[in-house]
Amino acid sequence: MQLNNKATVASALAGAACALLGTPAAQAEEGMLKDWQFDTAILYYGETDRVSLAEGVINATKTNDDDSIFNVKLVLDTLTGASANGAVAQPYAQTFSRPSGKDGYVVNAGETPLDDTFRDTRVQVSGSWMQPFADTWRATGAVNVSTEYDYLSLGLSGLLEKDLFMRNTTLSAGLSFQFDSINPVGGTPDALTSMLVPTYLGDDNDEGEDEFEWDDDYEEGENKTGSESKTTTDLILGVTQVINRRMLMQFNYGLSVVDGFMTDPYKLLSVVDNAGMTQDIIYEGRPDSRTKQSFFWQTKYALDNAVVDVSYRFATDDWDIDSHTIDSRFRFNLGDNDYIQPHLRYYQQSAAEFYRPFLNQADPLPMYASADYRVGEMTAYTLGLKYGHKMENGHEWAVRAEYYQQDPKNAGFDEPGVLADLDLYPSVKAVILQFNYHF
Amino acid sequence: MAANQANPAGAAPKAELAVTLQAREGFMLGTFDAMASPCEILIETDDKQLARQITQLACSEAKRIEHKYSRYRADSVISAINSSHGKPIPIDDETFRLLSFANTCYQLSEGMFDITSGILGKVWRFNGSDQLPSQSDIDALLSLIGWQRVALTANTVTLPAGMQLDVGGIGKEYAVDRVATLVSEQAPEVSVVVNFGGDIQVTRRRLNDQPWYIGIENPLKTEQGETLVKIFQGGLATSGDARRYLLHEGKRYSHILNPETGFPVEEPPRSVTVAADSCTQAGLLATLAMLQGAGAEDFLASQGLTHWVYR
Repeated sequence: MQLNNKATVASALAGAACALLGTPAAQAEEGMLKDWQFDTAILYYGETDRVSLAEGVINATKTNDDDSIFNVKLVLDTLTGASANGAVAQPYAQTFSRPSGKDGYVVNAGETPLDDTFRDTRVQVSGSWMQPFADTWRATGAVNVSTEYDYLSLGLSGLLEKDLFMRNTTLSAGLSFQFDSINPVGGTPDALTSMLVPTYLGDDNDEGEDEFEWDDDYEEGENKTGSESKTTTDLILGVTQVINRRMLMQFNYGLSVVDGFMTDPYKLLSVVDNAGMTQDIIYEGRPDSRTKQSFFWQTKYALDNAVVDVSYRFATDDWDIDSHTIDSRFRFNLGDNDYIQPHLRYYQQSAAEFYRPFLNQADPLPMYASADYRVGEMTAYTLGLKYGHKMENGHEWAVRAEYYQQDPKNAGFDEPGVLADLDLYPSVKAVILQFNYHF
Repeated sequence: MAANQANPAGAAPKAELAVTLQAREGFMLGTFDAMASPCEILIETDDKQLARQITQLACSEAKRIEHKYSRYRADSVISAINSSHGKPIPIDDETFRLLSFANTCYQLSEGMFDITSGILGKVWRFNGSDQLPSQSDIDALLSLIGWQRVALTANTVTLPAGMQLDVGGIGKEYAVDRVATLVSEQAPEVSVVVNFGGDIQVTRRRLNDQPWYIGIENPLKTEQGETLVKIFQGGLATSGDARRYLLHEGKRYSHILNPETGFPVEEPPRSVTVAADSCTQAGLLATLAMLQGAGAEDFLASQGLTHWVYR
């Protein structure tokens, strides 16, 4: 027998079966074109008076006949705005040089010094292939490339999963390797050396622009070298267990070893005297190795019309940063096609052993030091709400709005002289808006 | 025949609703016998009352369809048509839809799937015996086969005298889908598996997105039992000749008959299982694949649906 147009038999039968059962045929056709799925998202992240980020994501997934899954993802984001440079506020205006070494900027009295030169575009492409084999095994291989103006990141990873006990238990083991290289604007400054600061001449020229003057013996690129790199190796071991038909639990252990350049070449430190007055501005320096362990527990519980998702992560590393994260999401289904999902996240970390909000002139220079608030003691929380809707054609959209606040804390440092009256640990507040479309 | 039409719902007497109910890990299992098959209903609930209700609903619907379309029951619609001696027989909407579906299958298969071909069963006995029918017997029956000679309208069907209809090739799958539809109307939030002797429909995904695991017959593994397949939602159906064949002079004759030659299809697989959106669609694809004989795998591969073939 030769069936005409063989490939159309299945869809013709789908339509005929729907006619037989008196159900709309559209449902059946939708099911047949499901092998490619697309997720798209645009995201806005904006900190008050600081950095803002716009991001676009396209994620395409193809499920093949043998249940293997191919995934490719493209992320594009642009970052603009200002970021704390690490120096402390002073009761007078301060002048800093820009990373390029060609220009400067002035920070008003009493204000946290922010470097407003941040402007970058990042492109990230990643792909993965998941292959099931021997009935209860799955292997996944992935690669990713990410580039920015001054940054290149290449990654390779593999994951092996095994289902046990009627697939109620899944064991997983993953290994990933990442290479990052940074080529900072104006070169990589030597750690803990002084920043050469120009003299501010004012903005009374024709264009009304700030003008700066450098010392006669200043040379561009002084105390700076070229690009730096680091490698990161991650190991993850996990167990996922179906507790009962409503409950799923997951435990992960992660070990991460980083080797190489982890200093932020754009971050500074103030060196102050006993009166808290800045005597010198130096570049920060961090250790060139870091070993981090993390323990992760997650539980999902399905109620009749809701899903509760709670997780806790504890991470500890040899920089002395211990962190705790509690993340919870509650999804409430409003009928078949709509849901709302409140989100609550709390984060807490201790300071790195080399964290110093500033250095005291009287003390010997330490081997490593950073005033970056991201390695200091802090708490942070996120409050959010997501609303999702499934349309009649089966496509889904969702909007998410979140508020994020990061509160750096004093990790027990005395604040000499004028510093006692200045806010050395300003909070960072941000809003996140996201729109997703799935088809 | 008129009596039949007077009772379109064909509500089976309560006494026949012999269903049993057992609690299993994570679901309730309801069982009963209908359509010459063991019927199972897997219900993702702890609610015994609800599970019993759903199983009884399934049982009564299965028995209704069996009563209405079995060619072995003198009071069925099919028996009325088969004994009409060429006169038009009034039909209801459900019968029209079922015969229209059979018509579509006939067209799609270019005559290979023909609900008038069951008459060949008069001379072919697939009970493991070794008796081949004579060519003259087959020729006599071939003149009584041909769906294109049946006149179907929205209200009547006219079957030439001597011919017979047998909807056995679609009836069970149809019953599975009908039951699944009724159950999802009754309990839209509950994931239910309707399994009538290997013809399966899942009404919706399970709560924690776990698949259902269902054993399908694997003729090569009779000692080890069944092959376990996972199904999240949709339909699954199997067509096979595991026990229905004829051996003659060392040659195995499948019960899958070619309505044009009156002989079994050459080199059909032992069994074909197809996953599709509905059980009816899956069942017909499995049957059409069997009818392709040696070409079953190629046919299924071109359809882009998940399937299992055993030879």
